[in-house]
Amino acid sequence: MGFFGPIDIAASGLTAERVRMDVTAENLANAQTTRGANGQPYQRQEVVLQQAGGFGQTLAGAMAGVPAPASGSAPAPGGVQVAGVVSDRTPDQLVYQPGNPDANAQGYVRLPNVNSVTEMVDLIDESRSYEADVTAMQTAKSMYTKTLDLLK
Amino acid sequence: MSLLDTTQFSLEAAMRGSMLRQTLLSNNLANVDTPGYQREDVNFQGQLQQAISSGGSPDQISFRPGVQAQTTRADGNGISAEQESADLAENGLLYQTLTQVAAQRESILKSAIGLGG
Repeated sequence: MGFFGPIDIAASGLTAERVRMDVTAENLANAQTTRGANGQPYQRQEVVLQQAGGFGQTLAGAMAGVPAPASGSAPAPGGVQVAGVVSDRTPDQLVYQPGNPDANAQGYVRLPNVNSVTEMVDLIDESRSYEADVTAMQTAKSMYTKTLDLLK
Repeated sequence: MSLLDTTQFSLEAAMRGSMLRQTLLSNNLANVDTPGYQREDVNFQGQLQQAISSGGSPDQISFRPGVQAQTTRADGNGISAEQESADLAENGLLYQTLTQVAAQRESILKSAIGLGG
């Protein structure tokens, strides 16, 4: 992998934050879903981020037999990448709703482990991180423009 | 005496250093939510100053980034988005200054050799 420019790195951040936003939106949309894909209540999903071109890549390279970079020399920065989307293992909420068709014999319904307040706070975090990445990209773009102006 | 003096080479080396710092700061900002990520930065001005004062040529310098492992967060990530944004803005302005000065010096050189400035 080559040396990523600041614009590509900021773009990787934008992509990662976009994926987090998608997953948060899905959690919010399914906050009351009692019948998920496997017939169980929906489980909250969470995105795991990983540094690209860093430890993860060095590990993957080492397992494929690629020699590691000399010790002390940091790998070239490559931005961030989504390592995976995992299910939150927090237990479901039990709510007393005897009229609900999915209620058990005692009248309790298992609702998803989604807390809409947590999701809204996550959404603010993702939105702000996205904006910060956009600013970084704009700064890098203006730096490249200034370099091109030197040729005038 | 060559056509381009040490100052011009230093300006160009500083521009390289500033672009490297931009890459590292963007990488920090992109990894603001990566658990265990450690902040990277480069003190290119200090390294450039050291190279010049020890008699080295500024156009030969290769800057070395460093890792800062301090963190106050439970996920082991040491990035403050505010600090990175401020550093990015500062670095962008510094780069702009460097290119302006380099362009001015080149235009002086051009007018001296009769190409107009």
